[in-house]
Amino acid sequence: MPPLVGDAAGEGDVLVARATPPGVGALAIVRLSGPAGRTLAIARGVAPQLPARTVSRRAYLSPLVDEDGSVVDEGLVLWFEAPASATGEEVVELQAHGSPAIVEALVRAAVRKGARRARPGEFTRRAVSNGKLDLARAEGIGRLAAAASRGEARRALGLVRGELSRRVEALREALLAALVEIEARLDFAEDVERDGEAAALCRVVSAREALLVLAAEVGVGRAGAALPTVVIVGAPNAGKSTLFNALLGEDRVLVTEVAGTTRDAVAEVVEIAGERVRLVDTAGLRDTAERLERLGVEATVRAAAGADLLLLAREAGGGGPAPEGLPDGVPVLVLGTKADLSGTVLDGELRVSARTGEGLAALRREIGLRLDRGGETGVHGALPRQREALLRAAGALAGVAPADPAEIVAAALRAALHALGEITGETATEELLDRIFSAFCVGK
Amino acid sequence: MRACYEVVVVGGGHAGAEAAWAAARLGCRTLLLTRDLAAIGRMSCNPAVGGLAKGQTVREVDALGGLMGWAADRTGIQFKVLNASRGPAVQGLRCQSDKAAYSREVAGRLAAQPNLELREGAAASFLVAGGRLAGLRLEDGDEILCRAAVVTSGTFLRGLIHVGSERQAAGRWGEAPCAGLSDALRGLGLRLGRMKTGTPPRVTAESIDRTKTMRSRGDASPRAFSFRSRGESFPKLRQVDCFLTHTTERTHDLIRTNLDRSPLYAGIIHGRGPRYCPSIEDKVVRFAERDRHQIFIEPEGLDTEWTYLSGLSMSLPADVQEAVVRSIPGLERAEILRPAYAVEYDVVFPEQLEDTLAVRALPGLFLAGQVNGTSGYEEAAGQGLVAGVNAGLVAGRREGDPFTLGRHEAYIGVMIDDLVTLGAEEPYRLLTSRAEHRLLLGGDTAYARLTAKGLACGLLSEEEAAPVLEREARHRWARAALAESRVLPDRGTQAELEVHGVGLSEETTAAGLLRRPDAPASIRTWLEGRLREPLGGLDDEGWERLVNEVRYEGFLKREIEVIERVRRSGERLVPPGFRYAGVPGLSAEAAEKLERHRPRTLGQAGRIPGVTPAAVTLLLARLAAAERRVGP
Repeated sequence: MPPLVGDAAGEGDVLVARATPPGVGALAIVRLSGPAGRTLAIARGVAPQLPARTVSRRAYLSPLVDEDGSVVDEGLVLWFEAPASATGEEVVELQAHGSPAIVEALVRAAVRKGARRARPGEFTRRAVSNGKLDLARAEGIGRLAAAASRGEARRALGLVRGELSRRVEALREALLAALVEIEARLDFAEDVERDGEAAALCRVVSAREALLVLAAEVGVGRAGAALPTVVIVGAPNAGKSTLFNALLGEDRVLVTEVAGTTRDAVAEVVEIAGERVRLVDTAGLRDTAERLERLGVEATVRAAAGADLLLLAREAGGGGPAPEGLPDGVPVLVLGTKADLSGTVLDGELRVSARTGEGLAALRREIGLRLDRGGETGVHGALPRQREALLRAAGALAGVAPADPAEIVAAALRAALHALGEITGETATEELLDRIFSAFCVGK
Repeated sequence: MRACYEVVVVGGGHAGAEAAWAAARLGCRTLLLTRDLAAIGRMSCNPAVGGLAKGQTVREVDALGGLMGWAADRTGIQFKVLNASRGPAVQGLRCQSDKAAYSREVAGRLAAQPNLELREGAAASFLVAGGRLAGLRLEDGDEILCRAAVVTSGTFLRGLIHVGSERQAAGRWGEAPCAGLSDALRGLGLRLGRMKTGTPPRVTAESIDRTKTMRSRGDASPRAFSFRSRGESFPKLRQVDCFLTHTTERTHDLIRTNLDRSPLYAGIIHGRGPRYCPSIEDKVVRFAERDRHQIFIEPEGLDTEWTYLSGLSMSLPADVQEAVVRSIPGLERAEILRPAYAVEYDVVFPEQLEDTLAVRALPGLFLAGQVNGTSGYEEAAGQGLVAGVNAGLVAGRREGDPFTLGRHEAYIGVMIDDLVTLGAEEPYRLLTSRAEHRLLLGGDTAYARLTAKGLACGLLSEEEAAPVLEREARHRWARAALAESRVLPDRGTQAELEVHGVGLSEETTAAGLLRRPDAPASIRTWLEGRLREPLGGLDDEGWERLVNEVRYEGFLKREIEVIERVRRSGERLVPPGFRYAGVPGLSAEAAEKLERHRPRTLGQAGRIPGVTPAAVTLLLARLAAAERRVGP
């Protein structure tokens, strides 16, 4: 969705655009949105057999014509009466066969009748202006449309359903409650006892914690990467590259019998358990004098440091301590590779065989679970803008100690609330006063 | 022959006094019209000036050359800084006043002011010519011509007093209300509402048994509001104590059993009352779990029996009031001089005003004070000053910008912006929490913020401003000295500081030393020894201001950054006459509100209830596009 501040010209126009993805398919939808009356009138120019009187949201069958009036298709037409439509305006959807040529012809026909081609995201912008969506949800739609894996789609849907808004709202509530306690004691010093203040300041601390947790959760992967990164590490010849290929489903990487073949870290994007993941294969970790191999080891260490999950590959049943050089704080999934060659079962080790396929499905599921921390809460799909606002809110509070003067703490709380308000679009001042007066008996 | 003035001020209350004073000081031929000259500067309610947020406001009025602070200093009988243990931004200076003396002081100053005439009379309607205000018609038929007028009718527009079921047409006890002016205002197309306020009973001082109460003393070293008080002996009047008592369960029972006889609860009074000044009926009903409510016993003057019972405002019938008062410890034998009463009155919804307090519907007319839906003497004074200046500028046909105060400049600015942007559903009172830039609006910085502005518009003469500016310069000098003066951890210095309980291991500055949480009050002596010149001339208040500035420096810097950022985005002007109805995508509700409020800036637009951030961005886009079409 483009920024809301943009060229304001043409806001009274009837927009037309293809609503379904480009390319060939069974079905394509062309959508018109605009002022009541005019939009339908233009639609009639493209679907001439729409009855004179239409009922909202009922499907009508009509031939569909191009700009010269020749019939190019026959399809269903739906009319959505304002304001009960996706954009809040009058909306007409034309369902045609999914041929790019047909779609283009219909769009041209609409333009001939007086519509204008919509700019990217313009429908969504109108929906926001008409109060159909708050900003958080609107951006979620953008993400939903762009989601290329089921995991991303689910997270984007979480945004659309307002899960981020809900979490933020709960936090806002906590901060506001703390602010009320402090402000009541500042403005009505003679009426409200001081002793509740310590409790209020404790609430500031816990609200701050919650905010930092949310801000951290809304991180989009360590090291700012756009996708979660899974790195395969392990001793030389532990079967890493074979595993890598198996997960990729193709013989992407050169595999030889000699230990130490993979020189570089090799990365590929693959869908695992509905999740788009950046999978990285690395050189075997071991001390080596050979310069080329050492460079490979360094690359491994770097890749491991940026990982969200490490797959530690070692031969099944072999056991032994974890290799040195693994970074702290990154979760590790221990794999027993080449399971087809060994019968020994060790605790805590997930047995896999790239050759036979044993354990691969379980591995995929396990990877999905480990990465999908935010899946249940649905906040992972938060956008840079919201994440930035959350971080700003956390930042406003992080610098404050409960022992600071009350009006300083209050100022920090307000700054945090202001930042949160940018996500959900509300401000706090009148609300603050309302609460003070209903909670406290103040004033003479 | 009709009398002719440049500015006429209608009403001699706290708003009217400041308005007349300001217009006259600007050099305009000014008339103050009041029903009763003896009622000039009369305090309707609390015998007190200042308080939290209000004390800061009095300082602001003083910094702009206004009357209130000076008059309060000369007639104050107890001075106290509220929230003294907190930072300067939330401290508030307050004084108890001798009401009669205050009123005489204000009237006296007005009488002595050149360019200003005082006259008894009541305005009834407006004279309009060429779409502008041309003058006023009085109740007795006389007409007065003027170029600008400020109406400060307070609670007098169709004022109605309630004591139980007894009703009396009055703006204040025993004072006749304005009858015609409400209609005249409506006739201009203005929308009026109805509000209420209440005042507690007055009892005789000698009928109070103080042994049953707690003594409440003023500050040992009283602070003054006004800069002008420095050259005079202060405080001028004898200082007294107040007393603290409380209601009892018996009080609450009495109130509860008689609620049906309270016009407030019987639904007879229609106006909205202020939440922060609840009647005792309100308190008992809404906070039933509390077994006592505080009552302050405040003398109304040095030589009078009249005593004010703060916290006990009610509209119950007189007989119930007596029982209620006598159920309070210390007041068992109290004699009521005047019962508590509620007063209902008309107000003009303030979103119909500009931020100069000009009435949009009639150029030349201004409104200030309680008539705009505020409560409090200080709120009235601040508005009166702003309206008076602007009326003077209009009358004098002065070129240049009107006089306005921003939210970051003064509580007066916060108040006026809130009023014209948000409107007023209930009587508006200033609270520090209303000011998002509270940290910058402490009473100690009023002069720094406003003196230059006062000079520029003519409210202050060079002569009057000089000592203020000099003190400000001294402060800056002291501040710089503290920041630049190095304190080295040599043996001698360490030994000296040991005496004060301060250890020094590494180099710092004098400011750094002051900033330390373990720095005791006595460190001042040591620093004065080191920086004799810059620090020597500072009094206690000046020193405190310095310390606070040093200690809060980081926070203040951040605050200033925030202001700059907000201002840059919010200060975009909306062209006058901009048509909101023509903006597609703008919800009907938002468009309606915007048409009604007619904000001057985009920032103001965003504060209007019902105008969402999305609507603001739409407007921004619209304005930007319009600019691009027309060109810079």
